[in-house]
Amino acid sequence: MNSQLQALVALQDLDLMIREAKDPKRATQEEELGFPLGGMDKLERTRERLAKQIDERLLQLYERMSRRYARVVVPVEGRICLGCFIGLPTASRRIADSGTVENCENCGRILYRI
Amino acid sequence: MPTAPSVERRIETYLELHLRPALFIPELKNKKKSAVLEEMVAHLARHQIARQADAVLEVLRQREALGSTGVGKGIAIPHARSTMVAERAVLLARSSKGVEFDAADGNPVHLCFLIVAPPTEHDPIYLQMLAQIVKAVRLAPVRRKILDAPDFDAIRAVIGAQFTNE
Repeated sequence: MNSQLQALVALQDLDLMIREAKDPKRATQEEELGFPLGGMDKLERTRERLAKQIDERLLQLYERMSRRYARVVVPVEGRICLGCFIGLPTASRRIADSGTVENCENCGRILYRI
Repeated sequence: MPTAPSVERRIETYLELHLRPALFIPELKNKKKSAVLEEMVAHLARHQIARQADAVLEVLRQREALGSTGVGKGIAIPHARSTMVAERAVLLARSSKGVEFDAADGNPVHLCFLIVAPPTEHDPIYLQMLAQIVKAVRLAPVRRKILDAPDFDAIRAVIGAQFTNE
């Protein structure tokens, strides 16, 4: 997995954690179980640092797609995109300019191979 | 004609269903939080739960930055969801010497339940398991039994017994 894709995966995981920690119902449940969630500012700073490592156009694509999908970066298993569960054509498609990141022709999600 | 005695069967909790002998570390090698998380994630990677150990470790470290998962009384329940986790899993690890985990009460951690899951949009089971672990280990005698248990099956029986009246 190339470094841009690794950074995108880290960003997606962090965004999920931030989203859940900001969800009042979810946060209350965790805090009631004994898990404090006071370090949100640390996560926000880490997110800023991480976002700077990602190619600007790729980051824009990720941010745009995040508004549509909860998971933008998804695995491909046996030529099936595990975001939309549609088969991919044999010839893979690369996102223009990034050169290294592949996306699903059906749903547009960014793919990684497992 | 004699009839077979009726056996009341209990539906196992999600926690019990996720406890697996392969995901049990009887004695952790490390004593610091960061190294322990690394040791546990490496174990998950060996069992194909963590697709990329580095990515899973990073998300767990970020979760600890949000707030320590050392809930006190010698228990830690690190938990996170990651794109690089293949399936929901619980890894149980023990440390007789104790691990420095920045726990709420400042005490070392002796029992560590690591929960990981893929980033599925709706996964109520993940949170339920978290609550079930908290409930299972709330009593000191139970924690002692888990620490002293000779093997994984004995631990599973102790945990299962905490849910028998449900």
